[in-house]
Amino acid sequence: MTFSENIKMAFSSLFAHKLRSILTMLGIVIGVGAVIIVVAIGQGGEAALKSEIVGSGNAIEVFYSPSEEELRANPNILIQPAFTEDDIRILEQIPEVKTVVASSSSFSSVSYQGNKADSTLIGINQSYFDIYDMKIENGKKFSASDFISGNRVALISQSLKEELFENDSPIGKVVRIGTQPVEIIGVLEKPGGIFSLNTKDIYVPFNTWKMITGKDHITQITLQAVSQDVITTAGEKAAFQLNAFHNTEDSYQVLNSESLAEVIGQITRIMTLIIGSIAGVSLFVGGIGVMNIMLVSVTERTREIGIRMALGATRMQILTQFLIEATILTLIGGIIGIFFGWGVAAIVAAFAGWPSLISWQVVVIGVLFSTAIGITFGLLPANKASKLDPIESLRYE
Amino acid sequence: MISLEGITKSYEVGKEKIDVLKNIDLYVESGEFTAIMGPSGSGKSTLMNIIGCLDKPTKGRYFLDGVDVSEYKEVELARVRNTSIGFVFQQFHLLPRLTALKNVELPMIYKGIGKRERQERAEEALRKMGLEDRMDHLPNALSGGQKQRVAIARAIVNEPKLILADEPTGALDTKTSQSIMELFSRLNDEGTTIIVVTHEPEVAAFARRIIMLRDGEIVTGEQYSGGLG
Ligand SMILES: Nc1ncnc2c1ncn2[C@@H]1O[C@H](COP(=O)(O)OP(=O)(O)OP(=O)(O)O)[C@@H](O)[C@H]1O
Ligand SMILES: [Mg+2]
Repeated sequence: MTFSENIKMAFSSLFAHKLRSILTMLGIVIGVGAVIIVVAIGQGGEAALKSEIVGSGNAIEVFYSPSEEELRANPNILIQPAFTEDDIRILEQIPEVKTVVASSSSFSSVSYQGNKADSTLIGINQSYFDIYDMKIENGKKFSASDFISGNRVALISQSLKEELFENDSPIGKVVRIGTQPVEIIGVLEKPGGIFSLNTKDIYVPFNTWKMITGKDHITQITLQAVSQDVITTAGEKAAFQLNAFHNTEDSYQVLNSESLAEVIGQITRIMTLIIGSIAGVSLFVGGIGVMNIMLVSVTERTREIGIRMALGATRMQILTQFLIEATILTLIGGIIGIFFGWGVAAIVAAFAGWPSLISWQVVVIGVLFSTAIGITFGLLPANKASKLDPIESLRYE
Repeated sequence: MISLEGITKSYEVGKEKIDVLKNIDLYVESGEFTAIMGPSGSGKSTLMNIIGCLDKPTKGRYFLDGVDVSEYKEVELARVRNTSIGFVFQQFHLLPRLTALKNVELPMIYKGIGKRERQERAEEALRKMGLEDRMDHLPNALSGGQKQRVAIARAIVNEPKLILADEPTGALDTKTSQSIMELFSRLNDEGTTIIVVTHEPEVAAFARRIIMLRDGEIVTGEQYSGGLG
């Protein structure tokens, strides 16, 4: 008896009970579909998160975290400025570093004609726009001379614009940061992606920031490596140089965007695994449904089994017949489930604005898994069928 | 061809042990046409099932073509049923969802015969039974006599040397019974060994030898010698 004959036989008996077969499949469809949806959304979300973190790429975050001893020696160390302009000069000399992006932020209230908003004042250097993907919705960006001479110009975020100007155009208007006037030359686009925050920010050139705040420290430094390949080397050198310059042990540290993305990837994968296992429970329940129906089917077809045995079917052939029936049931259910999950995941991805990711691995795993479910849960009924006594089965009404 | 030596079949019902067949010795030559008769419950079907390798004796030896099949395992018994024995039952035992043709193909599927040959041979067997215009009918669309002829076609399609028919005419009227028995006679003329269980003397009259069973024992194994009650 060939395999294709077995499959034909299985299809014809599944066809004989169409409604029952479809309902049984439904459990598997939902189970496989749920797993696919969770995994696809997990992977899509992870990809979206990562692309947001990595941004335009090759970014290395530099941060200052003083050691225990340093803290004990100088408890005020954390309030002190983290970086100076000397640090920038040192970092710019590292060959693997393409640009040094520096910014300083402070909280200030911004006012325009009686409207007032608490916002973050960010002083940025010219390279800032190289790394951070910020688009101007209207108006224009800072020019090179704005940066050099510290012109009193500013860019504001959407939410700040809404707060201060509502529907009016802010371009060319002069707002006050504290008491200091600056002219708005542009409004930034609303950041895309669901993980971005709509903060009230006002950006000014770094030299302008110094004038307005009367401070000259730098709160944040991000490096851009020359290429992806040297991102680790650039980071190591940067940390080494800063620690050497400040005569510290390991207080200046770096975190490149890739390792950050890796950490976040791990978190999303763990979450996907947890939610996926919950979805897997429904697949398990679907498998039990298959077992149930196959057991009923075996009882109903007792006489058929007896006849087949009388005609020379071996117990193994009977077992195979029922096992293949169960497997085809779950396999078809699984394939429908993959398409179903795919569809739902694509819709969710379209709404969330991130890539819809159905990897071929997920599809292969889905197919293998539903086959395995069929074999696992078909085994008991198939075994029961093959153990029937031919004489009693022939007598069965 | 068939040689039963001291075949005993017992069932345990509760604490009691019932001997359904008691120390049966029986020899059937190749090419014989034998009828088994006897009252209800005398063990006729049990004996047929043992001869047909559907059941195993509790005690005794069974030689089929000189081979001791009482020692055979499941798989070997299935092969014997498939290739050496053809069964015909009172209730026909056709698979209701398969056409006459597909029903006849079944034993060949288990024998591993290819699709084309299977179809040719099934058609030939059905033609031999006079059913050339009923091949694509489902069993429900056939009369009792036609169903039994499909069952006989199915029994002979693997060209077994032995056909076992347990009350093949039990569900048929007299006229149809006669035509079914004529088919068996013809198969017997072609050299097939046939054993028929029956209650009807007219049916048994087709056989050349009648074995009487009573309470699990053979009463007579004589040549047919007239009417029986
Ligand atoms: N599984 C079983 N357990 C217990 N007793 C059984 C079993 N199968 C058959 N018997 C008994 O064996 C005896 C013979 O049964 P069998 O079916 O061989 O009789 P039979 O001669 O074919 O009768 P009938 O003419 O009614 O078909 C009966 O008394 C029956 O009750
Ligand atoms: Mg009987």
